[in-house]
Amino acid sequence: MNSRTETMVSFLQRTLPVGVLLLAWELVARTGLVNERVFPPVSEIALRWAAMLGDGGFYGPLWDTLWRALVGLGAAIVVGAPIGLLMGRTRWAAWLFEPLFSFFFPLPKIALIPLYVHLFGIFSLSKVMLIFTDCLFPIVIFTYHGARGLSAIYLWSAQARGTGRVRIFWRVVLPLSLASLYDGIQVAAVVAVLVAVVSEMVSGGSGLGYVMMRAYRYGDVRTAFATLLTISLVGFALYKVIEWGRERLLFWHVTES
Amino acid sequence: MRIVPLLLVAALWQAASMTGLLPKAVLPAFSDVVIALAGLVTSGEIFPDTAASFLRAGTGFVIAVVAGVVLGLLMARVRAVQRAVEPILLVIYPVPKPALIPLFMVWLGIGDVSKITVIALSCLLPVVVSTFNGARSVDEMLLWSARARGTPERRLLWRIVLPAALPQIATGVRTAIAIAIIVLVSSEFISAEHGLGFLIFSYGGVGADDAMLAVILYLTVLGYLLDRIYVAGLRHLMAWHEFAH
Repeated sequence: MNSRTETMVSFLQRTLPVGVLLLAWELVARTGLVNERVFPPVSEIALRWAAMLGDGGFYGPLWDTLWRALVGLGAAIVVGAPIGLLMGRTRWAAWLFEPLFSFFFPLPKIALIPLYVHLFGIFSLSKVMLIFTDCLFPIVIFTYHGARGLSAIYLWSAQARGTGRVRIFWRVVLPLSLASLYDGIQVAAVVAVLVAVVSEMVSGGSGLGYVMMRAYRYGDVRTAFATLLTISLVGFALYKVIEWGRERLLFWHVTES
Repeated sequence: MRIVPLLLVAALWQAASMTGLLPKAVLPAFSDVVIALAGLVTSGEIFPDTAASFLRAGTGFVIAVVAGVVLGLLMARVRAVQRAVEPILLVIYPVPKPALIPLFMVWLGIGDVSKITVIALSCLLPVVVSTFNGARSVDEMLLWSARARGTPERRLLWRIVLPAALPQIATGVRTAIAIAIIVLVSSEFISAEHGLGFLIFSYGGVGADDAMLAVILYLTVLGYLLDRIYVAGLRHLMAWHEFAH
């Protein structure tokens, strides 16, 4: 077997189970065993999705979800990375912040939606703040563990040359912690899209989550499914873009494994 | 000593409320929240909702752990299962699970069944993935030595593969606990007549902020204790493994 047929075979092997599943879905929905309004055939969902892409009416909500997620994520990076670095390198910061972050970690931040609506209003601000709060945790925790677990050899060698504390932070600690900060950002990006969607589902205000909820209320399961597909693709694409950026942004980083 | 920073935050909050820096219309004082929580607990008002929530999250979670471990083990040891299931899991993985809540409500009704199903499905993925990874990387030496003694293949799965994969499974299960609570609260926000998420949402809706914060605090403490108990139980159970040290 040459390499091209091998790629073909492995591609078929990977797509076959999903294909079979979708085909079964299509057939079950077509035979009328289930209510078609509630369980539409997959081909019609695909058509609706294509129609939504062509219609343009859904780029507004898509953009709303995306900018909320990205602004919240960005704010969490700006605030969270310094906290995590500080916790990793100074004892008092670890003492102060570590209990706070581990105590509030198990709280589902989504539970704060009513509080944030009360504090920040029903519009975008409360959603962005919630996304910020939820993303803060993975970013702080990953950066903290990265900065704490630095190999001491690098620090010693810098100290041995008489490098000052501030300079060590900028030239040694920060670059070496970037990889774990990046891991945290990748986890947080998925969280950001999820929280954006759920907050739109619960408190409305445009966005893909709201479009999906409205479709369900009107019994338009096809649109709801098509929106769900878009939401999944947005989260997946964001994750992939960040993964793609890793080797380009952190190309100089030594992977220790 | 780890409690000191938490007390510090509570004290700052209380001081800000008492000096008027933080008006009570914006956020009730910490003492008001504690009083409201004490009221909810002593009157027993909060317990039926706690039970309702735990029943939903617990049932979904248990289904997910049992199904996830079985599926993960099968995927790791039977090639055909892996080939059939892995691509499907990869497709489901990026779907934000709380977004499935309304879908399952349309299919299975707005009652407990739809909530439990979404919770089970959401918790399933981390358990399957961690079991699969754990079982796949079992030290071949252990398998050879068991085979050399004539252990049948099926017994191998339960006596060697499962115990060796336990530390990784335990990590997946810990993630599943957190996910269960997130999906539970989301589903109770979207539609419920009982449960802690419902309480938070309805107290928030009528402007009873002290009671709302009391339930959030209660949920935080419960989640924290649950995680602590889980980790402590794990240390105890897996004293034989380096994981515990």
